[in-house]
Amino acid sequence: MLAYVLRRLAHGVVVVLGVLLFLFVLFFAVVDPDDIARRALGEKALPEVLEQWKANHGYDKPLWPWQDVRDNMLFEHFRSMLTFDFGRSDADDVRISDRLRQGFGPSLALTVPMFVMGVILGIVFSLFVAFFRDTYIDTMGVFLCVLAMSVSILLYIIGAQYLIAKLLRWFPISGFDPEPSVVARFLWLPVLVGIAQGLGSEVRFYRTVFVEESHRDYVRTARAKGAGELRIMARHVLQNAMIPILTRVVLAIPFLFTGSLLLESFFGIPGLGSLTVDAINGNDFSTLRTMVYIGSLLFILGQIATDVSYSLVDPRVRLE
Amino acid sequence: METWVLSNVVVVLLIAGALALAAFVRRNRLWSSAFAELWRRRPVAVAVVVLYVAVALLDSVSWVGGFEAGEDAVAAHEAQSVIDRLFEGTRERSYSAPLADAEFYGGAALRHPGSHVFGTDILGRDVLYLTLKGARVALLIGGITSLIAIPLALLFGVSAGYFGGRIDDVVFFLMSTLASMPGLLLLIALILAFGKSTLSVCFALGVTSWVGFCRISRGETLKLRELDYVQAARALGVSEVRILFRHILPNLAHLVIITFVLMFSGLVLSEAILSWLGIGVDGSWGQMIDRARDELSRDPVIWWNLGAAGLALFGLLLAVNFVGDALRDVLDPRTVREEL
Amino acid sequence: MARAPVRAALHGFRVLGSLLLGLASGGALGACTNNPYPDADAERKVLYTVFREAPRTLDPAVAYTTASHQITGNVYDTLLEYHYLKRPYELIPSLAEAVPEPRPLPGGGVAYGFRLRPELLYQEDPCFALGGEGRTTRTVVAADVAFELMRIADPAVNSPVTEPFSNLAGFREFAKALAARREADPEFGERPPHEQYAEVGGLEGVRVRGELELEVVLRAPYPQILFWFAMPFTAPVPWEAVAYYDGDEGRPRFADHPVGTGPYRLALYDKQFRMVLERNPNWYGALHPEWQAPGAVYPSEGEPGDAEAGLLDPEYVGRALPFIERVEFRREKEPIPTFNKFLQGYYDSAGIIQESFDTVVREDRLSPEMAELGMRLEKSVNPSVFYLGFNMDDPVVGTAAGERSRKLRQAMSLMVDVEEWTRLFINGRGVPAQTPLPPGLYGYEADYANPYRRVDPERARELLAEAGYPGGVDPATGRPLRLTFDTADTSARGRTTIEFFVNAWRELGLDVSIEATTYNQFQQKVENGAYQIFQWGWVADYPDPENFYFLLWSEMARSKSGGPNTANFSDRRFDRLYRAMKTRPNDERRIALIREMRTILERERPWIELFHREDYALFHGWLRNVKPFGMSFPMVKYRDLDAERRAELRTAWNRPVRWPAYALLGTGVLIAIPGFVTFFRERQ
Repeated sequence: MLAYVLRRLAHGVVVVLGVLLFLFVLFFAVVDPDDIARRALGEKALPEVLEQWKANHGYDKPLWPWQDVRDNMLFEHFRSMLTFDFGRSDADDVRISDRLRQGFGPSLALTVPMFVMGVILGIVFSLFVAFFRDTYIDTMGVFLCVLAMSVSILLYIIGAQYLIAKLLRWFPISGFDPEPSVVARFLWLPVLVGIAQGLGSEVRFYRTVFVEESHRDYVRTARAKGAGELRIMARHVLQNAMIPILTRVVLAIPFLFTGSLLLESFFGIPGLGSLTVDAINGNDFSTLRTMVYIGSLLFILGQIATDVSYSLVDPRVRLE
Repeated sequence: METWVLSNVVVVLLIAGALALAAFVRRNRLWSSAFAELWRRRPVAVAVVVLYVAVALLDSVSWVGGFEAGEDAVAAHEAQSVIDRLFEGTRERSYSAPLADAEFYGGAALRHPGSHVFGTDILGRDVLYLTLKGARVALLIGGITSLIAIPLALLFGVSAGYFGGRIDDVVFFLMSTLASMPGLLLLIALILAFGKSTLSVCFALGVTSWVGFCRISRGETLKLRELDYVQAARALGVSEVRILFRHILPNLAHLVIITFVLMFSGLVLSEAILSWLGIGVDGSWGQMIDRARDELSRDPVIWWNLGAAGLALFGLLLAVNFVGDALRDVLDPRTVREEL
Repeated sequence: MARAPVRAALHGFRVLGSLLLGLASGGALGACTNNPYPDADAERKVLYTVFREAPRTLDPAVAYTTASHQITGNVYDTLLEYHYLKRPYELIPSLAEAVPEPRPLPGGGVAYGFRLRPELLYQEDPCFALGGEGRTTRTVVAADVAFELMRIADPAVNSPVTEPFSNLAGFREFAKALAARREADPEFGERPPHEQYAEVGGLEGVRVRGELELEVVLRAPYPQILFWFAMPFTAPVPWEAVAYYDGDEGRPRFADHPVGTGPYRLALYDKQFRMVLERNPNWYGALHPEWQAPGAVYPSEGEPGDAEAGLLDPEYVGRALPFIERVEFRREKEPIPTFNKFLQGYYDSAGIIQESFDTVVREDRLSPEMAELGMRLEKSVNPSVFYLGFNMDDPVVGTAAGERSRKLRQAMSLMVDVEEWTRLFINGRGVPAQTPLPPGLYGYEADYANPYRRVDPERARELLAEAGYPGGVDPATGRPLRLTFDTADTSARGRTTIEFFVNAWRELGLDVSIEATTYNQFQQKVENGAYQIFQWGWVADYPDPENFYFLLWSEMARSKSGGPNTANFSDRRFDRLYRAMKTRPNDERRIALIREMRTILERERPWIELFHREDYALFHGWLRNVKPFGMSFPMVKYRDLDAERRAELRTAWNRPVRWPAYALLGTGVLIAIPGFVTFFRERQ
């Protein structure tokens, strides 16, 4: 068991290093530091201005460690990322780690309820549709799912703000306030939009799982024994479909931390997503690569946690 | 070479390729029956997709000259496509509602009353024209990206699955690295790194979307490798390259088609998000939607810009999704489920 | 002192915790409301307003944008300020006891003597512990004003207004001496600024006499200097704050933590979404109401018409300021949600977004529907000018190409139909500009029409051909001439407004492409001269023609001195005229000089003048004492609001429409019922 966990961890570490190397190649080798500086300063910036800017942001060292093992950007990049000291933003010199700490709260406040309600609704609807499989409810349900998937999230957001917030006045149009008495009212609308947007593919996925599961032998056996359809669905199908559902759910959890780019930005929620959007609009490469790194780190951790917990439940998994 | 010449050449090649493919499909019983089944199941969706493709092709054939400059003296020096020529000189001064006779604000008479099916935008451009032009952009995004992603995925997936060992390790490492990065962020990072242009958007979309198909083709190759006739060919001393091209790749063809169609809608949707971030492709529906967002708050409301772009986007995606679903059912009910 | 990160993390968790609490405390659809503020604040005198991007700096010596003046103008009191109601604008004493008179000196110089009010206190702030254990504030002394003036000179501070202040005797010499000392002795540069300044010997033109007296000496007459003493640049700044807030060990930078003497203090500063100003209990108006200081009580006289407009209500005249207890700035990235929230009563005032203009304004007056809601509309021509500029340093459109580029610029100018542009994009809220000078300023001529500011495509084509680009074709390439339009607006909407100009030029055959970058990048691009055509605006600092024509003075060129002459226009004759006009009193000669400058601009076309903005500001009826000011000075302390009325109306306007929710639910059930029926019939 321990060996398996260690092996899994080692693999995770290798992937993290791979991500870091990829980011380094992308942000330092593909994008010439001169180019980053010039993007920040303008095409015809004076050489001394460029040099000063590069020195201030640590872009003035040699790229690769051929001359000096420690004094180069590769080492500096790995050091700063692995020690979680992300340095300062390329755009406004604020400490990136401070920004992250401030941002994850609002992000989670949006994504956690969205995720939990989304999963619950997804399972309920798909059970419903699968229960009525081969009737018009099933056909219509699948059709609606495809319909819902074909609409751009932008249209969902624009539509919801116009219809629900402006015309019906159910919730504030946008905004945020961490004050406990008011925080929920800001979140309803983005949460609803997020759920509506994801529900189509969610329901379709779970429905396939349930329908497939309900064609299996044990279901037929149960039915032959005279078990009620509802009971079969709840007891057998749902329980046996839990593994693919859990995989999907667990793997999605890490991304809750990085927030939702579009929802946060449109609804004015000051989380990591809107931070990222600001970074994109401001060509803030240091913040952007930190966000990619954090995202993949969380994903890898989530994956390891999933694999390890499976192997606890089912020893056969470890053989793979 | 001028881009418009290139674009014409590509169109000719595409049409030639499509004809050759059609001829092949007609001769091959398996494929022709599959397509007949697809047509039987989803005739409308298939027709809609064909319509979009036709518009996109018409917008890709262009030449210089013979274009009456009128309002725009620069345009006479530039290549104009068939669609451009169809809408030659339809500019108005500003907003007009669909099929209106007068301007939306102020009520001045239009130059071409009653001719704008979807009205005109703030600068007086015909919205139907802008919408039709979006079809080419959407298909370009889907097409170029797939051209990048699918061969890449096949190369890595098949070699990993077939040869195993070190190659498999490397490919697996590459896949887990790419898969671990948040998709949209990676996409944006790539575009920022490579500059904002149509090609770099497609490249970035390609890099972020090949992993899923790579995994499928690797798994499928693993299975195919163990099949009797492949093992037999190997025992007979047939060269590896020959096995790959004779036995493995043809058996992945249906997966390629399904993947292409299923990937397509995701790509176009991603582009809409990129447009909103200001790094999309010029002239796409995403950009139209982004522009039209504010107009919904005008009073009286200006809905036709958002409506036209949204409808065009929605129509294409719906058709493609239905065709994709049907294709999957027809060609392969099991392998590709929800990996994409 | 590494507390800040911990606090930030705690903040993160608190947000999450409060969310769970919030959800638990009945967030159900039945309790839904669109009120974005805590209910407890409903009946309090809180003014709600917006910001788009957090100011880059709140350092009074550097901050130069309307957004930052919203904060610095309220937090830092100045020696002088403007009378709230009187027009033309009039200076009144604020921290100073009187508005000084110029005293001519032998040798051509001029001196102004200021005397500070006694017992002025700074707001409470921990930085004052540097001056003595346990201190949280101290009295304001004349040396604090001198300190701030020296900070403007300090090259390390990088103040954008060094030019006007270089009229102070010894200003440039002080800057040079400081830079030289730092260069020679790196250790010197590490010491707190006030020590450095003292060591270098201070600024010659600023003489501190005792605790409260300050004399400012100018090398030559520059009457406009007094206007600068009404702007936050010259506010007294405690050296403690500059030394303490250095951005290290968890302390914020001084640029993010203002410490002043104003009527409000910055109570909360979250750049991501919220800024809060609260009454400063140490403000002299609050501590010494008996002074009846002109800047601390509501004025008793104004311009004709103010009384009728309810601005001289006896309820307010002579009462101690400020009336509003808190100002909340919320971040709004998009104008439309902002305006919608205004309509819902959640912001107290708003500009009118163009999308809703026709609902709000009819025949140049407030529409009856809006008037019924108790709103008021205030119009004023802003002392501003908006223009398209050419970078005169550019080899194609600039001076280097001589007559050729001049004709090109003239031709392009003749294509821009600004009336159509204002009609399409700002609902005609702009007076088409003929010269840089806006209406209402000395030297403005209402009947002057610039021959290059009409639309004349025929003449433009001729000029273009004369310039050597017949039909827009550049003979060097045989293709339409390619130019770039650089902009800071990356939004699709912003792009459309520029496409309007681009389309006009395409009619001529010029191929102009739009290059959009972010605002900061654009500014940096401009600083580095990497642009051809740009769009820019200028809002007056003070009401004098000098403040507009200096935008084209060669000394102010962006490329030379980083000044606001973004077109890098440089013309010797223009410079000479400008210098003569600058120091002249308003007389016939001055008008003649202005006319001559105008003629040069008319021909040279460094700018294509667009329009002078007209401000249409909307206010809810509950907001009192509102008079548009034009220039960027926050006049919050004079305003008042009726919070009870506001709470009532908000409730009345925001009753949610619930039936669609029930209808939706009902439809869902109706659709499902037949399914259930068939299903059970089959399976039974």
